[in-house]
Amino acid sequence: MQPDAAAPSKRRWRERVEWLVDHFRAEWQIYVMLAPMIIWFIVFLYKPMYGLQIAFRDYSVFRGIAASPWVGLEHFETLFSNSQFLRAVKNTVYISALSLIFGFPVPILLALMFNEILNEFYKRTAQTIVYLPHFISTVIIAGIVITAFSPSAGIVNTVLGWFGIDSIYFLIKPEWFRPIFIGSGIWQEAGFSSIVFLAAIAGVNPSLYESAVVDGASRWQMMWRITIPSIMPTIIIMLIIRIGNLMEVGFELIILLYQPATYQTADVINTFIYRQGLQSGQYDLAAAAGFFNAVVAFILVMIANTLSKRYSRTSLW
Amino acid sequence: MRIFALLAAFLAAMAMSTPTFADGHLKIVDEPLELTVHMHHKRYPAYDENWPVEQEARRLTNIHLKNATIGSNTTNSGEAMNLLLASGSIPDIVGTSRIKDVVNQYGPQGAFMPLNDLIDEHAPHITAFFEKFPDIKSAMTAADGNIYYIPYLPDGKYGRAYFIRHDWLDKLGLEVPQSVDEVKSVLEAFRDQDPNGNGQQDEVPYFARQWEELIRLVTLWDGRSSGSDTYHDFYVDNGTIRHPYAGEGYREGIKNLAQWYAEGLIDPEVFTRGSSAREYLLSENLGGMTHDWFASTSGYNTTLQGKIDGFVFKAFAPPASISGARIEEHRRIPVKPDGWAIGGANSHPVETIKYFDFWFSPEGRNVVNFGVEGVHWEMQDGKAIFTDVILGSGRPVNSQLYEIGAQLHARGYYQDYGYEIQWSNSYALEGIALYDEGDYLIDQFLGVAFNEEEQAVYDKHWTSVRTYMLERQQVWILGGGDVEAEWDDYLADLDKMGLNKVLEAMQSAYNRQYGS
Repeated sequence: MQPDAAAPSKRRWRERVEWLVDHFRAEWQIYVMLAPMIIWFIVFLYKPMYGLQIAFRDYSVFRGIAASPWVGLEHFETLFSNSQFLRAVKNTVYISALSLIFGFPVPILLALMFNEILNEFYKRTAQTIVYLPHFISTVIIAGIVITAFSPSAGIVNTVLGWFGIDSIYFLIKPEWFRPIFIGSGIWQEAGFSSIVFLAAIAGVNPSLYESAVVDGASRWQMMWRITIPSIMPTIIIMLIIRIGNLMEVGFELIILLYQPATYQTADVINTFIYRQGLQSGQYDLAAAAGFFNAVVAFILVMIANTLSKRYSRTSLW
Repeated sequence: MRIFALLAAFLAAMAMSTPTFADGHLKIVDEPLELTVHMHHKRYPAYDENWPVEQEARRLTNIHLKNATIGSNTTNSGEAMNLLLASGSIPDIVGTSRIKDVVNQYGPQGAFMPLNDLIDEHAPHITAFFEKFPDIKSAMTAADGNIYYIPYLPDGKYGRAYFIRHDWLDKLGLEVPQSVDEVKSVLEAFRDQDPNGNGQQDEVPYFARQWEELIRLVTLWDGRSSGSDTYHDFYVDNGTIRHPYAGEGYREGIKNLAQWYAEGLIDPEVFTRGSSAREYLLSENLGGMTHDWFASTSGYNTTLQGKIDGFVFKAFAPPASISGARIEEHRRIPVKPDGWAIGGANSHPVETIKYFDFWFSPEGRNVVNFGVEGVHWEMQDGKAIFTDVILGSGRPVNSQLYEIGAQLHARGYYQDYGYEIQWSNSYALEGIALYDEGDYLIDQFLGVAFNEEEQAVYDKHWTSVRTYMLERQQVWILGGGDVEAEWDDYLADLDKMGLNKVLEAMQSAYNRQYGS
């Protein structure tokens, strides 16, 4: 019995190794191309996870991570008894949800519009103009926003003045912070994000359009019946990625634009972490806040992926 | 006569060659000794062995510092410090801005050496300094009773002052305001009577580069805005630690400043205009009054001469508050949290503390303040006077000094105000004389060193309390709430967020440190 049972499993194991060796010999270029990305993930995403444990320790920079004493959930208790942290969570969700609702459709619309432009020169010029803000650094964007919305010299208030509206000091009014932040985000990124959708549109089989033309379909009908359904998988994937990043608000721009007067609507988890962790040196508490953020983000991705798998059979994994 | 003349000549020669005779008396070691140094400051992110000041110190002491700075690619000294600590190997000497809290926290863990015994035994000049200024010694002491760093000690008292456009006052036939009510009527006149004469009401009566300088005005209603040269700091009221933003005078001040803001007496963009506000508003002939540094603000009288007709922007005495008190809240603090310390693994602590002491000796103090004798300065009537190399170049003196390695605040030394007087313009000196005469400065809170328990209380509550205070402060000034009506709720919220616990922790640290 024994030798009989062992022999086939041994043979199978050897076959598997031989297959692997052959496979690597044949496809090694692909693995070499994959390597930088894997190394990047290990060095910048997996290795730092080791440091996450400081969320549960009383961290001292000098003692190091391993030698700092454990404190259990103390930092999480501190966080959840802090009204400013709870407010930051609420603001994060608000700002993210609003930018998703208003920001997500814009690049799709842009891509569809670019696709309908027939004049090649006009199309390229328009594309370049909307891509450009993406390449401007956040500090400059903040400078442009502050200047544009300034009550004395800003273009926005100048235009409002033509209609007899008193100038508004936008950047210190809590109610204006979210529209300005989300709007400037759309202005900066919508053009560049539309590239993905343009690529998806370019990948649609031309024979579909040809047969539609033969059947006498209008351009409008072609867009609704062919283009949008064809790029739906791309849209869903992009949506899942967006939802996964829902908790990652672009906090650099917030730090540059917010004021104590607008904390009420502008303070998000990441800016809270910045103030507590970097400015006040409480790395352990900030790590706890970041850990919470990451857990929520992970749950959101799981939910989005499951829903997508169930309803559209498109998913990340 | 001949003999006398000869003798005189001989004595003169003796005096001239004294440095050569004296050469060697500052030597700490016979054989050159190398020590590693981490030195980080936003103006000089690494130690440079080629600094003339380093070379001079090396010649005089035989101690040779070798650069071992970590984090030179960042301008943020705190970040560089954390990188250094996390690396686990601390160089022989560590110098940086804001070193105090770092050494007080990590010194007891072994990262830095306690200096008390070393100073007592080997540092006569530092000891002499402490005997002269016992309060400063208390301010430097950590919670465990040890001293872990040698600070940068600024000299000269004056920092900021009230400045106003004297030519505008003359043009409108107004006197320099002497009280809070007169300030208000002057600012109203600046707003309404077109002192810049361009036919538009575009004047900005009160402006500030840092919006905190607007809050500074609460002192005109007997409030406080800070207890030290750091904004929003605690202050000491007869031995009791308080926070300015929980006081009656502050409430009154904010109420009135909100009204001034609503009436257009304060730059409407004061919270967002930022650091270029002074440059812009003065050179565009728009700004009327501010509260800013003596030297740099007086400098505009020179730079804008000929560009704006009759431009005179001069310091004036602090206006009397509603109770008649005239105070200038800002001054240079006598001890900064910047400086240097000895790494815990340094195997030459005695030589190192002697090296630290060298910079407090008369010779070392001249080198660190003025540069190299005979090159950057010369002795005249017992005083170090800058040569043309420094004064004649037309560039700001302090940045020239950083370049040669002098006046580095990441080094522990006692500044000599004589260095600044030599290049302050006449307007600044006139203003300082005015403030000297009136004796308007008040005592500063020099900070406390927490023990671990107190530190934990402070860390847990303070950032949130401070955030809340600043948030309400801006909202009130901008008219988004009524400080009078909300005051009791505000105090209750502060208590709920832990202000009183923070104050208790500070008080216990204060009592331990300053002995009361």
